[in-house]
Amino acid sequence: MTKMRSDRLKIVFVLCLAFVTTGGQHFESKVAQLLRDETEDIKCFVEVKDLTCFWEEEEERNNLHDQYTFTYSYENKKNMACVVSPLSLLASNKTIFFCKLPKTPFFTTLDVQVFCDGRMLYSRSLNAENFLFLDPPRNLTVMSSGKEGQLNVSWLPPSLKYMDDSMIYEVRYAVEGSNMGKVEVIKVSTMLVLLGLQSDTRYKVWVRVKPDGVAYKGYWSAWTEPVFGATPPIDMDPLIILLVLFIGLILCLLSMTVILSHHKFLLKKLWPDIPTPEHKFPGLFTVYKGDFKEWMSQNNGSMWGRSVHVYTEELPSPLEVLSEVSLTSHVTSQIEERKPAEEEEEKDSERSDSRLTDRWREPPHAHWLMEQLRALQDNPESLSQSSLLQSHDTYVTLNQGDNEQQVDDVFEETLPLQTLFTTAGTSSLNTSHSDLGSLQQSSGSGRLSSQSSFEYPNHTWPPKGPGYAYMAVADSGVSMDYSPMSSSRIAELGKHRIYTNDYKNEIFPHKWPLSGQHIKTGSGSCSGPLW
Amino acid sequence: MQTFSGLVSVLMVFVWLGGNQVSTLRPICDLRVLDHFVREARDSEVIMRGCRGGCGVMKSYFVPLTSVDFAVWEHIDVHGQAMEVQTGLSLLDQALNNAMKSVSNSPLASALDNNISNIHSLGQILHSLDLQARSTVLPDDSAPASAQTQEVSSLPELLQVQSSFLRGKVRLLLSAAPACQRQNS
Repeated sequence: MTKMRSDRLKIVFVLCLAFVTTGGQHFESKVAQLLRDETEDIKCFVEVKDLTCFWEEEEERNNLHDQYTFTYSYENKKNMACVVSPLSLLASNKTIFFCKLPKTPFFTTLDVQVFCDGRMLYSRSLNAENFLFLDPPRNLTVMSSGKEGQLNVSWLPPSLKYMDDSMIYEVRYAVEGSNMGKVEVIKVSTMLVLLGLQSDTRYKVWVRVKPDGVAYKGYWSAWTEPVFGATPPIDMDPLIILLVLFIGLILCLLSMTVILSHHKFLLKKLWPDIPTPEHKFPGLFTVYKGDFKEWMSQNNGSMWGRSVHVYTEELPSPLEVLSEVSLTSHVTSQIEERKPAEEEEEKDSERSDSRLTDRWREPPHAHWLMEQLRALQDNPESLSQSSLLQSHDTYVTLNQGDNEQQVDDVFEETLPLQTLFTTAGTSSLNTSHSDLGSLQQSSGSGRLSSQSSFEYPNHTWPPKGPGYAYMAVADSGVSMDYSPMSSSRIAELGKHRIYTNDYKNEIFPHKWPLSGQHIKTGSGSCSGPLW
Repeated sequence: MQTFSGLVSVLMVFVWLGGNQVSTLRPICDLRVLDHFVREARDSEVIMRGCRGGCGVMKSYFVPLTSVDFAVWEHIDVHGQAMEVQTGLSLLDQALNNAMKSVSNSPLASALDNNISNIHSLGQILHSLDLQARSTVLPDDSAPASAQTQEVSSLPELLQVQSSFLRGKVRLLLSAAPACQRQNS
């Protein structure tokens, strides 16, 4: 019997100790919090039903604590004393003195005073019902409600009579491991359903309580220890999955149908064909593998046929290169620029040397020519009206023997006629290089671009065979001294690329053995527009 | 605020219709009505603090005791509690009416008028809960302060007493009213 009694007593003692310790922990934490937050000298709070007031130890006093006296009064009653007790806070290494009122009157103004050796230290007037400092709610539980993204949270209210309908709660929740939490406020009710949560995620939940401020006021309680709960995973309805797949399949089929029906159009838009000049040069790429010289040599006839058709649109100007026909006088010829000079530069590459060869003709009458020259000599200004050539003819003078003759800085078409007569060789040259004038002078071997244009003003010069002594300036092998292009000329050319063409006009040796002689002599090269 | 006023006025109509007959009214157990009155009493205190001129004169008022010792209160029976509450409400009504005579500040006067009507409403609520005192003997101004009363000397103190009384004794009584307990159980 005695053993059982002692055992029971021990159990009761342990329980009491546990309760006191717990209560003490709460008490100490509350004291510590108010020490931090409360600015009054006397800090008071109501823990359960009793008001506790405390103050910090004065720094000067190191001695006995029983020097302090605490008194309180209300409703004009006389002062009542309260027992002062010390407490050492382990956390902050401070000592406080506190007094717990035995019978706390609520809803009335309390006047409290602290005396030290008869000297009033602190005083304060307060209403006890305004300083409730509750313990955190107990039995916090977090459970899954079964629905997606929801958790059921519930807890027990503070065990205070008359006050349970005056409480307000704060629920804080966050994803486990995250510091970003949300807060929900709830009045009176002690359960809450958290909505809008992530599926299949673990959450931490905390709760704290405070009086609602109408009948009772106070401080927020401490947060409870976190409680964990997991939301259920997403439950995919098989019907929804099936519908999604079906719709996806239909969309794929539709898109494929559209693409297949318009694939040509789409291909054209997305992957446009790179334009090639292949259709203009039949066989160039397929048969001759891009060897233009070979192709030219094989396709002269067909080219001519085509070029005639082309040339009807243009105004080719025959360029007469007169050999030394006993003209001693210098005739300054004004080379008129042809308007189609620019156009001729833009002619396509069909205007090649082969065309030149076809165009070579001997003037029908040498006498007629001489007459024209005399006329020019007499009236230089009438060059523009020369019947020999169209107004837009271009004269190019050749100076076979003089590679370095520099034409002055004049319009490149303006070349002294005298040079026309200084060329070696017996045959007169007829060539039309309307655009030669626009060619930039360059040093080097005497090569000219094969681009040329022809003009048949009166069709007085029927096309002759290649046996004629007419030569293209290009293959004369003579140096072409052109004045540097003027800036205006350059501007006109504009986008045309100028390149130095070392291309040897080797077709001429085939056709015109005569001209071949000229090729071998002299040197010079010029650059021409790219074609 | 307006909703509560409307609610209370409807309730008052019902109660007035009931008159002095045996109360067949449904008991008004919702404490939100009382919370509304408490807030309006607090508003009067705020207006009083900010009042400048025409805010009443120094005068002594007899007002009820407001302190509540829970341990003691629990041992008082309901009717004793009801008696205390009813007496206190009557005292407050008298004091507020007295104070209004010397108040010329219109916001304060309006607030005091509101408080007086709230006290009347509370009387009706107690009647609906069958907690009206059988007989209330109101001490007049000349009577000395009884054990149930205290004396205050200014309007701010009066308003503070009113606030404490409503939050304390009146609320405790209403929350523990047997009629409401019967309803809940």
